[in-house]
Amino acid sequence: MNDSVLVLTLAGAVITGTPIALAALGALLGERSGVLNLGIEGIMLVGAVTALLGTQATGQPVIGLVIGALAGAVLASLHGFLSVTMRANQIVSGLALVIFGTGVAIFLGQPIEGQALVPGRRLGGTPIPLLADLPAIGRILFQQDLVVYGSWLLIVAAAFYLARTRTGLAVRAVGESPATADAAGIRVALIRYTHVAVGGALAGIGGAYITVRGAPWDQAATTGGRGWIAIALVVFASWRPIRALAGAYLFGIALRANFALQAADVRIVPPQFLTMLPYLLTIAVLIVLSATDARGRLGAPAALGRPYVRDER
Amino acid sequence: MIRGWQLEPRPRPGPGVLLAVPVLSVLAALVVGAIFLSAIGLAPLAVYREILRVSYTTGYGIADTLVAAAALILTGLAAGVAFRFKLYNIGGEGQLYVGAIAAAGAALWLGEGVPAAVAVPLVIAAGAVGGAIWVVIPALARAYLRTSEIITSLLLNYVALALMQYLIFGADTPWRDPNSPTFPRGAPIPDAAVFPRWGTTRVHLGLLVAIVAAVVIAVVISRTRWGFQWRVFGDSPEAARYAGISSRQVIVVVLLISGALAGLAGAGEVAGRAGRLDPNGLVLNLGYNGIIVAALARYNPLAVIPVGVLVGGILNAGPALQSLPGQNVPVAISTTLTGAILIFALAGELFVRYRATRRPEAPAPGDEPVAVGATSDGGTP
Repeated sequence: MNDSVLVLTLAGAVITGTPIALAALGALLGERSGVLNLGIEGIMLVGAVTALLGTQATGQPVIGLVIGALAGAVLASLHGFLSVTMRANQIVSGLALVIFGTGVAIFLGQPIEGQALVPGRRLGGTPIPLLADLPAIGRILFQQDLVVYGSWLLIVAAAFYLARTRTGLAVRAVGESPATADAAGIRVALIRYTHVAVGGALAGIGGAYITVRGAPWDQAATTGGRGWIAIALVVFASWRPIRALAGAYLFGIALRANFALQAADVRIVPPQFLTMLPYLLTIAVLIVLSATDARGRLGAPAALGRPYVRDER
Repeated sequence: MIRGWQLEPRPRPGPGVLLAVPVLSVLAALVVGAIFLSAIGLAPLAVYREILRVSYTTGYGIADTLVAAAALILTGLAAGVAFRFKLYNIGGEGQLYVGAIAAAGAALWLGEGVPAAVAVPLVIAAGAVGGAIWVVIPALARAYLRTSEIITSLLLNYVALALMQYLIFGADTPWRDPNSPTFPRGAPIPDAAVFPRWGTTRVHLGLLVAIVAAVVIAVVISRTRWGFQWRVFGDSPEAARYAGISSRQVIVVVLLISGALAGLAGAGEVAGRAGRLDPNGLVLNLGYNGIIVAALARYNPLAVIPVGVLVGGILNAGPALQSLPGQNVPVAISTTLTGAILIFALAGELFVRYRATRRPEAPAPGDEPVAVGATSDGGTP
């Protein structure tokens, strides 16, 4: 089978986009309940390092992914505690999570600095019968691994959950107007805690996927700002899961095209400028989006970032 | 909430609680750090004794701590002056890099023939301008298009890092040392542009710049018309609008000042510490740690000074512990500790803003009514 560079780049873009999609979905779930979690980058790093350590210890990449998810949920719950119970400034709390998470990840990763999983222990591909044989599309979409397929299911499930289920409606109510939700008997704190924790687990899997697929542990450069791009992506996606997946794949293409150009040793543009592109692209899209949005909120949940304090008088 | 208790806003937190929260946060973070250290088989108390020794008690250690503090006070002010008015510039890291690039560029451009009395102030000014330039896009986008400055300022950190790496590793630029073609590194800046040092120590002019900046910012916030406008805007942009204050102007001015302060830190790292633009030596998260300094100081510019020294010592200890014989203490213990301190300080903030009091009455459904006074011992009248 002889695949073109384009097909291989697109297949690679799916792999590169998947951690961003999972992290964006994680951020999105918390935000729909009204909690802004800027700690995604730190959570992804902890997910990446614990998954690598866990897979090395057990030989099972799936166990690595589970450990990454649990670590992510624990770290995110810390943010939940600070922002829901302790009514802390969510922006500062999220940044604290990034700094603490980065510190913990580099601390834990010291013995495995620069190491990657040996090929036999990496998460391998699972081609879907029949679909995998389709020309081009088969290679791009259906010769992937279980995390990629799982991310599609999760994204579709989350879209359905938020738009069509009773609990999803409660989540949106808590994100838009916690006082109204509270008056209607919805447990605001419980909803916020669970969605921040589950969101953290997803971001943790996103980070874990990077190392479980075979990337080496390279301190903060392992995720290299993908967590922040995921947070920006939630804005691009107007807080909708399926749009977030599409955006993540677009970024996957941008990042992959970058690697391809760098590998091809294109001399016209220095590699450092290619490195800047995804970040500059994100900034440009954010600015263009807000320029075209008259209300200036881009469809953000109305209570996003605000602690809820029941008025007791 | 725990039954029978409620939180009541504290109008003016007293000095006791203001001091207790950071002190307890540091202690609690040390406990967390001890758990991590024990987990990898190190003796926490021995490590902490070493941190105390290498950062706060020996002359050499104190000097290194003050060198780190000079940068952290400036990045702490950069974060503090913005965060205090609810403008979340988290691009201090990138603004520091660009300030360093501008300072090194100015020093190299001036060359040898210029007296120090001219070169040093110009290098300082270049750092401030470089830092401010790097926040122009987030500031204008926030002021005119309401684009959240959080993500734009943060993403520019990665762009600044790539730019700095390009200037040294990517091409033959004026920033690069022409005498070291095989191992790319920054060109040494002329002696006239190097910051004067205090005696024989490594403590440099940057510390003085930081302290002066802290005092100036404190005075501007509390005593000037600008500061008044910022405070009104920070409390309520709505109120600012009714008072005829231009929100756009506040946003742009505050963010530019914030960027300039981070840029000053970059100038100090070049002209005070490294003597050249040194990308690998600059990637110390001084910008990110400035956010910790600012939050621990509760965004008070004068409190940033002692907090900067405290955090400077902790960050300094990380690399210093590497040279300990026999023990392999991970450098990241520093970041883990500072991150944990911030987390505990944020949790403690609740007790600064509120006080826990017994619920005066409000019997739970089904409870027998009780005589007034029987339930409230020491509660609010």
